[in-house]
Amino acid sequence: MKFTTITKWEFKDTLSSRKSVMIFILQLSILLLMIVVFNSFVANMESEQGLSIAPSLSGFASVNVQDSSGLFQKRINTQVLDVTSSNYNSSLKKMQQGQSTGFLQVPDDTVNDIRTMKPVNLVLYVDYTDPKRSLVENEVNSTAKTMQDAISASWVGSLNPQNDSEPEFSQKSAGGAMPAQVMDRVMLAILLFLPLFLFGNMLVDSIVGEKERKTGEILIAMPISQAQVVLGKGMAVVLTIAIQVALWILILLIAGFQIKNLFLVYALVVLTSLPVVGITSAVSAYAKNYKEAGIVLSFIYIGIVGFLIIPAVAYVARKSMAANISSMTLVMRLLSGEPVAPVDYLPAILCIVIVGLLSYWIAVKLFQREDVSFGPRPGILKLLKDLVSLKF
Amino acid sequence: MVSDAMISIDSITKSFGRIKALNNLSLDIGKGELLGIIGPNGAGKTTTIRIICCILKPDSGDVHVGGYSIHEDQIKIKSMIGYLPEEPNLYERFKARDLLRYFAELYGVPKPEINPRIDELLELVNMSDRADDRINTFSKGLRQRIGIARALIHDPPIIIFDEPTMGLDPATASNIRSFIRNLKGDKTIILCTHYMREADELCDRVAIVNRGNVMDVGEPDYLKSKVHGETILKIKVKDLNVDLNKVQDFNSVERVNMVGNEVSVSLKSRIEIPDIIDVFAGNLVSVNTEEPTLEDVFINAVG
Ligand SMILES: Nc1ncnc2c1ncn2[C@@H]1O[C@H](COP(=O)(O)OP(=O)(O)O)[C@@H](O)[C@H]1O
Ligand SMILES: [Mg+2]
Repeated sequence: MKFTTITKWEFKDTLSSRKSVMIFILQLSILLLMIVVFNSFVANMESEQGLSIAPSLSGFASVNVQDSSGLFQKRINTQVLDVTSSNYNSSLKKMQQGQSTGFLQVPDDTVNDIRTMKPVNLVLYVDYTDPKRSLVENEVNSTAKTMQDAISASWVGSLNPQNDSEPEFSQKSAGGAMPAQVMDRVMLAILLFLPLFLFGNMLVDSIVGEKERKTGEILIAMPISQAQVVLGKGMAVVLTIAIQVALWILILLIAGFQIKNLFLVYALVVLTSLPVVGITSAVSAYAKNYKEAGIVLSFIYIGIVGFLIIPAVAYVARKSMAANISSMTLVMRLLSGEPVAPVDYLPAILCIVIVGLLSYWIAVKLFQREDVSFGPRPGILKLLKDLVSLKF
Repeated sequence: MVSDAMISIDSITKSFGRIKALNNLSLDIGKGELLGIIGPNGAGKTTTIRIICCILKPDSGDVHVGGYSIHEDQIKIKSMIGYLPEEPNLYERFKARDLLRYFAELYGVPKPEINPRIDELLELVNMSDRADDRINTFSKGLRQRIGIARALIHDPPIIIFDEPTMGLDPATASNIRSFIRNLKGDKTIILCTHYMREADELCDRVAIVNRGNVMDVGEPDYLKSKVHGETILKIKVKDLNVDLNKVQDFNSVERVNMVGNEVSVSLKSRIEIPDIIDVFAGNLVSVNTEEPTLEDVFINAVG
């Protein structure tokens, strides 16, 4: 397997080049800038809850709670919602006046219901015209979940295990929640995917550079197949990206960010670099010079970023399963600690594998074509014609 | 024709778009031979070499290298050849030693042999003292030397040089030529050049290529003898009163004429030169012979 030799040397070359060190520093500064923008670093330093990716939202949305048991009211995160005790009538009035976003009614006999294993019905009233409602919905939802865990835990601990029915919490309002934190997860996901697009020029340099500096002829004269050359060069970039993403995650962890499902997230990001690297190889194999490759790749990268981000955002909005085509959606879901079923990985992985293999195949074929390497270079139409007539 | 051909090119044709670079070119290169390919720019020398190296595919025809066909055993052929391209650009950021190691690894030189091999080659091209300097600090001549070392890294039985001295100053060029001369022996070498003297000096045989075809091929002396078939003897004399008929009577003499104090004698062979000079005994100022050069051959063939 000679491609590993190429990978090794290309990688060494990267480490010793001033340009890649510059890119690396640039990335670090972008990352630091993002951390500052998130503002969570300083804001959370003071809170004893430790650091979290969620910025403090106090003063943003408010909810009135009628909870004589105090079970819920105590547990709502006051960093996310402003909580005020109130009754039904005044709460609805406040909502109508736009002074609060929602009203949560906890039944008076909740404690009793829990003891007797009856389902507890929470009623949440929200103002549907208020965009902040999703925040309220999400927060109440997650508080209910915490409560469920806490109650069943104490129940298992105190009662006879012969009772196997669980307390059930239901919520009146339904529909898509758009948790505020999710926006941060999107940002964090974008951040983690960023290195994928910052090393394209390294690959362009290593492929187009061979043409521009006229070093490619020696490479073609080597007793090594073009497939191995392309693979070797591509893998050097994948390796660089993998290390970069790892460093990136490390820095985020040191800065106090909580990254859930760390290894899965890491694996998905690195896996996504494969088709990006494949496409970059294919474009570089065809391009005459840096400029040409640069312009084309800029457009293609915008497309890829769109392909990753749009489904992720769409998922946030409507939880559509089609959004799983983008690995960024999955990363975002994993970051939020949302359970991800194995089948949910399928669309993204399939997409990665198909685009990856296809672009790699095209890159190798282009590399093997002497008219592409030595000219006169065929036009795209001619290539397509050859492809269709199986002469590619 | 060479009986023991290491490389045998069998009527290859190659076009680039509308340009016909090679037109039914055939040529055999013997084992251990140093063959020169000379021809004007655009003659098809580089294209021929690239086809031998499996870098380009011919439109038609075949080439066998060490018995392997370029259409089938490309990887085998490639590993048998050390190739110094016309534009032997090297990875600028690499140190000389690292560059050689990179290619040694790619050619699959066994690990323990790599370091001794590199040292040996650096010694051969007189670069041992610059081994740990980066390529981008080297002059063109030094780069060419590293390029030659690189081409030899896997100790290939066949070495191909494409215009190895182009653009070098005369001293450096002669240096490079001496490296090539030192390689002569069991290696099969192809030297492409448009410097006739270089080919004359180094090559066992020379092929003259023009417009994608071999115009003539043979030993330099044979090719030269075909052009004039003669050597010109130039004799300068003190006393202008000489009897040219005496010279004309020699069998080997074709023509005699005199311009000023210089007698020019065209000879069919060199055997009688001492006797001819004797005719002028006591009257001599200087004696010179002028040989036809490959340049004359070339102009004659291509012209
Ligand atoms: N990649 C190419 N594209 C178009 N024309 C080419 C290409 N390579 C060579 N040629 C043409 O083929 C002819 C032979 O070129 P070449 O083999 O490089 O000649 P030489 O090495 O003898 O100078 C020239 O006319 C040259 O312009
Ligand atoms: Mg040439």
